[in-house]
Order: sequence, then structure tokens, then C-alpha cells
Amino acid sequence: MANLNINAKQDRTYQAIVIGSGISGSWAAKELCEHGVKTLVLERGKDVKHIKDYPTTNMLPYEFEHRGQITEEVRKENPVVSRCYAFREDAQHFFVKDQEHPYVQEKPFDWIRGYQVGGKSLLWARQVQRWSDFDFEGPARDGFAVDWPIRYKELAPWYSHVEKFAGVSGNLDGLPQLPDGEFLPGYPLNVVEKHFQAQMKKHYGDSRHMILARCAHINGNFDYYAQQGRAKCQSRNLCQRGCPFGGYFSANSSTLPWAEKTGNLTLRPDSVVHSIIYDEEKGKATGVRVIDRLSKEMEEFYADVIFVNAAALNTNLILLNSTSNRFPNGLGNDNGLLGKYVAFHNYRAGVSADYEGHLEYTTQGGRPTSGYFPRFRNVFKQETDFLRGYAAGFSANRGPYADQSGIGMELKENILNPDKWGPWRIGSHMMGETIPKESGYVALDSNLKDEWGIPQLRVNVDYDDNDEKMIKDYLEQMTEMFDKAGFTNIRTRDDHRAPGLDIHEMGGVRMGKDPKTSLLNADNQLHAVPNVYVTDGASMTSTATQNPSLTYMAFAARAAHHAMKNM
Amino acid sequence: MKRRDALRNLALITGGLVLVPSCDFSKKDILAAYDKLKVSSDMKQLLAEIADTIIPSGETKGASDLEVQDFILVMVNDCMDEDAQKSFTKGFKSFENYTINKTGNKFGQLEPSQQEEVVLSGLQEEDEDYIDLRGFLGTTKRFTIQGFLLSEYMQTEVKPYSLIPGDYQGEVLISSLKSEKING
Repeated sequence: MANLNINAKQDRTYQAIVIGSGISGSWAAKELCEHGVKTLVLERGKDVKHIKDYPTTNMLPYEFEHRGQITEEVRKENPVVSRCYAFREDAQHFFVKDQEHPYVQEKPFDWIRGYQVGGKSLLWARQVQRWSDFDFEGPARDGFAVDWPIRYKELAPWYSHVEKFAGVSGNLDGLPQLPDGEFLPGYPLNVVEKHFQAQMKKHYGDSRHMILARCAHINGNFDYYAQQGRAKCQSRNLCQRGCPFGGYFSANSSTLPWAEKTGNLTLRPDSVVHSIIYDEEKGKATGVRVIDRLSKEMEEFYADVIFVNAAALNTNLILLNSTSNRFPNGLGNDNGLLGKYVAFHNYRAGVSADYEGHLEYTTQGGRPTSGYFPRFRNVFKQETDFLRGYAAGFSANRGPYADQSGIGMELKENILNPDKWGPWRIGSHMMGETIPKESGYVALDSNLKDEWGIPQLRVNVDYDDNDEKMIKDYLEQMTEMFDKAGFTNIRTRDDHRAPGLDIHEMGGVRMGKDPKTSLLNADNQLHAVPNVYVTDGASMTSTATQNPSLTYMAFAARAAHHAMKNM
Repeated sequence: MKRRDALRNLALITGGLVLVPSCDFSKKDILAAYDKLKVSSDMKQLLAEIADTIIPSGETKGASDLEVQDFILVMVNDCMDEDAQKSFTKGFKSFENYTINKTGNKFGQLEPSQQEEVVLSGLQEEDEDYIDLRGFLGTTKRFTIQGFLLSEYMQTEVKPYSLIPGDYQGEVLISSLKSEKING
């Protein structure tokens, strides 16, 4: 290749390369470095150092020129990312702007990205629910995608491993569809959430549950987390700015500094991975081609083992762009399925309501989580006219407000002393499993390239009939449950958002037992190139209903140990 | 203060909080807003008077003491689309004539109680002819309230904002809450 650095090849050789410094890549790096493996982590974006590079973290509301709002100019230039709930004045610098990294939407797809050290782990919603065998056995039982090559018991110890280090708050709920884990004390549910919980028990027995959502926040075992330089979550609810306490898990506050302390980590920001180098004589991958984000010069780096953790769709892009005589259609793509069976989570629908009970109560303080409905549809057996089911978020809120109808001194005194108490406000949103299909795919555009000369990604992912039926069922069931709980003024919505805004895109490099129908084996190795591991969202065979990051972390840690066994 | 001490102690554990320079309300943006929305100094004065009518000064500062008029114009200029801006400007420009028609005087010459009446009646206009005027006053009221409540003065001296809200309590009797009335 042109523009090779004058450094000797030896200086650019490591034992392992991890592509991506986000939630899954940082976990692979942490495990490798901790066990003595010299590891290079490549990050396409700029460096973000814990605390130092959180410019807005302690800003007060009046210090934001537009009090948090995104300007019209930014909104117009960035219609996709502007639809993301967390893209606000305080965190906009951590999001990819539409124009900077264009892609082709064959069908509408809101691709939300965070290109910096730590990736989207700075911005995530921090919800961490385990999968169960009702999820891993789903494709085989219900006849879609392919069978997962592993079962819950193989992942369980790795869930424990990552939960303990990351810090997960939650309650032991004893539900087979949402296994318990290594939990720090849970946060309280409020009086109306408890009322709803009791109503579910009364009307549905043991078949439907509303529990406290498990979240990656430190709420106990403080001495242990002090070793990472992290402290108790202060419930500021400003997580998307980066947390100076390290109160929630991010790569920046936890796994990356831990890896760095070992002396085995080389972190290289501004390194856009072009492709993986495949050596036909050796029959394995030997390194990666990197384009410097700023100088645009290409360099190569070499290693025995390569982890691809670029975030689901970009992992697909890198593999598709890694062509050779042996793999003309992308690395490991002997069966032509690379980039296919991409799916997501269906977040289109929500239900809200009022509750006129417990009006003598309110809440105080902050809480980094809310209530959660584990999936109850089609769990133990198929019972509806659609496959799979949905989880749902649930919360009840109340606070004083001011009468703002007048003007003058009356208005001023009202807003200085808000003293009106309306009903409790109840909210829920669905998180539906979608079925991966061959028609849901990503591919490289044959002409369009980005600023670094890398082909742009074409995205073609959509809802299907199963999703529509599921939305209908969620709206009906939640309305019924709200009604039974005595909630009033029940309002349903389907916002018809495009896929992608859930930020749970998955698949394209799925795991499976058979090289003819999958790309990765049970240990996340490419069947055809076993020294390449994929442990981010791209590896997912099906999507389940749980927020997926915890599962990526567990896969990454597990695969890192597998790689080390064979080193 | 206890909370602040706790914050400081935690800062030591976490390796020190970084003090971030505040994002100053940039003079350049204010001037740009005047320029783009074609606001003369007379109109700026008028907007300040309307904002003061909505939130007057008293025991605590009022809107124009906090230069809320600048905040309104920056928000209109930066955060509203072109159609909304046009409507705002149109309503703004019609306000003085509306006042003269109602009272025979310019807004600045009226007693505070008369000013309140004019603004209230403008906010309540249902006639299509006054759609921009009503919109202008509604927008001005909304940003006056926001600019007032989220001003440095309010958030440091009157109702100090806490970056650390405290542990969650999910079952607090409203009758147990103590609050001292803040006089306007």
C-alpha cells in the first residue's frame, strides 16, 4: 500500500487489534490487556478522556445559550440525528452529524452514531436486562433465522463477570424470562408504580410482571468501584454529558482506563479502519488498513487476533469492504449472507394515562431508571397471531406545576411558587422483537464514497406484518392493563418512526452452528477466518426484547478469553 | 451546603471535577439576532417593556433586569423556523398600532395596569386578523417565562439549582413538604 509509515513493521505489530472503543470493543480490550496481551484499540473518532473531555458535564441550565434546545440551523442540517431524544444542546458534540458521514437509505433508517473514544457508551440509556433461553431458543422454536449456537448457561457466567465490573443495580425478581444477576441495591419504585405492580399481580397472577428496570449505575459496593475511580451515581440524570463520578458504566470511565493501567493498551483515536488484511498463504487475517481521520494517509497494523467491534452496521461495512481473491464478497462471506438478516427493536408505540389515586403523595430526588415489563407474550408457548413479543418501559411521575394563564405579578408569583398538583402521569413505551429476514440488509454502494474513500453503506430495513400486529397487541394489552389499574385518560400513540431510532440495530454477521447459513461460530469467530472475532450487535442471530448492550459485553469478554486460550 | 461538601469529597475520589467555563451569552449572537430580525433600538425597548409587563420587577428582579428581551430574540432567531420568525416579526411590528387603536397611546406611555390589559387582550384575540400579533405575544410570553426561570439570577440567588438532586423517594406526603413563599 502507498503511504506506509516509515516505522518498522515490528512497531506496528501487536498481539491483538480491537476495532472500536465502545461498549463491546472496550470490553474485549480490557480482558485482553488484563491478561497480558499487547492490544491496539483503533477508534475512528477523536479521543474523549474521562472527565477532562466532558465539556458540558457541570454546566448549569442558564449556561446553555438555548437552554438545551437544538438550533433550527442544526436541526435542518441534521434531520436524522435531530430525531434522537438525547441529541440536545448539552450532548450534541458526542453525536455524528448527518452530513459528515452520509449513508444511503433505500428505506428510511435513522442511523444514530457516536464516533469518539467510548462511542455510544457515553450516550446509552444504561438499561441492562439479561437474555434467557426463551430468547436463545426463540429462532429454533418459532422457525425463523437460524438456531443460536449457544444457550443461556454458556453466557450466564459472562453476564455475571461483566455485571460485577460494570456495576448493575436491580432487584432479584426470580423471573425465568429475565434471569437475575449480580445486582447492587435497586432504586425504589414510587407509590403509584407499586400500586400498578400490585394490580398486575391481582389481575394477571404470575403471568405478567412490572419490575424495577436493571441499570448500569453504581448503587453499592463503593470500595470496589473506587478501584476504577468511580463513585456512587448521584441521580443527576445528565448521563449523556459524560459523568464526572463514573456513576454509570461507560468505556471511558471504566473498561478503557482499566485496560490502560495494565500498560498493555495502545489506544489510537482518529483511526478509520478501511479493511482487514487477509493473507492467502497463511489462510488468516494478519492486520488492518487504517486511514488517518485527519491526514487521510493509510497505514497498516498487524496482529494475530482481530476483534471487530465497530458497532453493528459499521462492523458489516468493514467486513464487506475487506475483499481479497479468497473473499471477493467480503471477509468470511462464503455463503453470501454477510450484511443480511439485519433487524432492530420496534419502538414505535407508547401509551400514556393519568391516575387520580394516591394524590396525597409525590416524589423527590432523582433516579436513573424506571419500571420495566419483561416480555409476557408467547414466552412459554405460542399464543397470538404474531411471533415473539415485546417488553415495555413503565413509569409514573408527579410534580407541582404553576398556573401560567395570567401575566404580571400574578404570573410571576405563580411561577416562583408552583403549587398546583395534577394527577399522576403514567407512561409506557414498547420494545418489540423484530424478526431478522434476508430482505433486511446492508450493502456497500458501488459508487458513493465517504470523505476517506470508503464506500457508503446502503441500508434497507423495514417493519413487517408481524411488527404491525405486535404494535396493535401492545396498544390493546397496555390499554387493558392501565384500565384494570384504574388509570384514566388513556392515550395510545404510534409515531411511525423509522427503524434505527431505537439504536438497537443488530445482525448481518450472525452467529450459528452451520457455516452454510451463518458467519460466526459459537465463539464469535468467523467460520472461515477464525482469528477474526465479531462481538458487537452485528453478531446477533435474533434480537430478543432486552436492551442488547449487556449481551454484547458478555459476548466480548467471553470471546476474548476464547482467543487467549488459543494464543 | 452538606450536599456541596459531599460533592467535593466525591470529586476527590473521582480524581477531581473539572470546572468548566460557562458558555457566555454571546454578544455576537445577540447582535446577529437584532440584525436578522431587523429589530431597531426602539423595538428592543418595546420588547423589554412587554417582557416587563409579563414579568415585572418587584421584590425580585423582573424580565428586563435580566435582559430577557435579548434571550427572546436569540431564541426566535436561532430556534424557530423562517415562517415562525416572519410571523413573529409581523406581529411585533403590528403591536404598537394595536396598542394605539386600543388605548390611543403608545405602549410606553401607558400605566402598568393599562399595559397589562393590552398584552392580555392581545393574547386573547381570536380574530384571524390578529393571528400574528397573538402569536408574537404568545412566543414572547413563553420565552419570557423560560428566560426568567432559567436565568443565572434565578438559578443562583432565588431558587438555586442543584446539580445533585438527592436520593429518590417515591412516597412523599405533599403535606410534609415545606416551602417558603418567594415574593414576586
